[in-house]
Amino acid sequence: MRFFDHQQAARAETRRLLLAFVLAVILLVAAVHGALVLAWLLLAAFISALLPVSLSFPTGFLAVNVGVSLLLVLGGWWVETSQLRAGGLRLAQRVGAREARPSVSQAEQRFCNVLDELCIAGGVARPQPVVLARADAINAFAAGWDEHDAVIAVTQGALDQLTREELQGMVAHELSHLREGDTRLKMQLAGMVYGLELVYNFGDTVRERGGLGTLFGSAIMGAGFAGWLAGRMLKAAVSRQREFLADARAVQWTRSRDGLGGVLRKVMTQRRDGAMQRLGRSGIDHPALQHMLLVEAGADGPWADWFASHPTLAQRVRRIYGRPMGPLPLAPQPDNSAIFAAGPFSELAFDGKAP
Amino acid sequence: MMILTWGLLIVVAVLLVWGVAIYNRLVQLRNRIANAFGQIDVQLKRRHDLVPNLVEVARAYLAHESATLEAVIRARGQAQTAAAAARAQPTSAASIGALALAENALGGSLGRLMAVAENYPDLKADATMKSLSEELTSTENRLGFARQAYNDQVLDFNNEATQFPDLIVARLLGFATAAMLEATRNEAERAAPQVRF
Repeated sequence: MRFFDHQQAARAETRRLLLAFVLAVILLVAAVHGALVLAWLLLAAFISALLPVSLSFPTGFLAVNVGVSLLLVLGGWWVETSQLRAGGLRLAQRVGAREARPSVSQAEQRFCNVLDELCIAGGVARPQPVVLARADAINAFAAGWDEHDAVIAVTQGALDQLTREELQGMVAHELSHLREGDTRLKMQLAGMVYGLELVYNFGDTVRERGGLGTLFGSAIMGAGFAGWLAGRMLKAAVSRQREFLADARAVQWTRSRDGLGGVLRKVMTQRRDGAMQRLGRSGIDHPALQHMLLVEAGADGPWADWFASHPTLAQRVRRIYGRPMGPLPLAPQPDNSAIFAAGPFSELAFDGKAP
Repeated sequence: MMILTWGLLIVVAVLLVWGVAIYNRLVQLRNRIANAFGQIDVQLKRRHDLVPNLVEVARAYLAHESATLEAVIRARGQAQTAAAAARAQPTSAASIGALALAENALGGSLGRLMAVAENYPDLKADATMKSLSEELTSTENRLGFARQAYNDQVLDFNNEATQFPDLIVARLLGFATAAMLEATRNEAERAAPQVRF
């Protein structure tokens, strides 16, 4: 029964967010109009000081302002979401993930098995397991608009460095995102923020034309920036709560703190040692992915806390264990070598270069 | 008089709709218990299918341990028979009990096989054996999770059926509370097959 209760909660959350978004859009449109009115009044005052004419507002000033900004916001949202709606598998392929196959290696067999086990524990349809084969950093993500195109991706680094129990904790966390509808919620939020960003970009374009455009462009940019900032904060705040929820659920399903806790503590070690060199080419730094990852690819700065889509590692580990815990040393798993010797798929492992 | 009759009719109608809603919810929850039990059955089947492969691979290395291997095969046969009987009579406590007993025996013999295999480095290094023991580990986990899910469903049903006001409907229509699976009855049963590879 929990299943439906939680879905309901997620839907209620979405409704609240949509309401907040509608509010943000209304405020943004009002701000854009207000800024343009201000710019116009400035212009009118300037002109009437020089010439003996008084400028009135052009016809349809309000309608055009409101219409254009609404078009930008909603259009941007629609475009971005329809791209994301293409599905989890498409997104995973875009960042360079490939399907996980039990026959490839012991580690991938273990990953597929762990996923099947947890689907039983959580009572969820099985998502497609995929691997980011070029990423050394321990990380994972879940994506999908609905359960038919859901994927769970883990990095090669996670397969290499995590024990079975830790892998279980990691997959449970991602599976929780899918079950709670978080992936969809996050895609929606990303679309919303993109729509708000478009207004800012439009202002920038107008400003670059020079002349009067500088004045009006700056006005639009100012309003757009405020809206975009609010949108990002809204998105990040929701995302952080969903992360805590997924952490708690992972512990509930696996009945183990050391599973997910171990993963996060090993990530701490990787962070400390700066073992992220291959991050750039691995596809995991794709902007569309940042809010979906198990741990953020890394963001720093004085305002980072406000915009972080994830709580800090230390915060999460403290919630899981009930007290602060230090980093855990990395331990490459012994049995992760490819299965060369046996199985009908042995030729696959040789990458086509059969003798 | 007219108002009183209408009032009574409305009260009865509301009570009826309310009762039907509760009844439907209870039936739904009871069906989920049956579904969760089906999941356990699926995983038991998986376990039974795995055993012949495991024994086949182990036989090549464990020429002197045929007694252990035979015990596993025998336990698997008994478990299969018990599972078939339980499938035919899912509500009978006796057949479920017999199935639990047979599965425990199978688990025990598998555990002994794995313990013996510890002494044979060649077998441990065998890629097929590694793969099979991962499957065995996974199957044991799946069984555990399926039982956990079953017990969660039973808890949901029992909570619903024993709380006021649903209690009234449950009692009137004869919904009995369901029993949880007990994972273990004694220490010996608690010993899961140790898979260390």
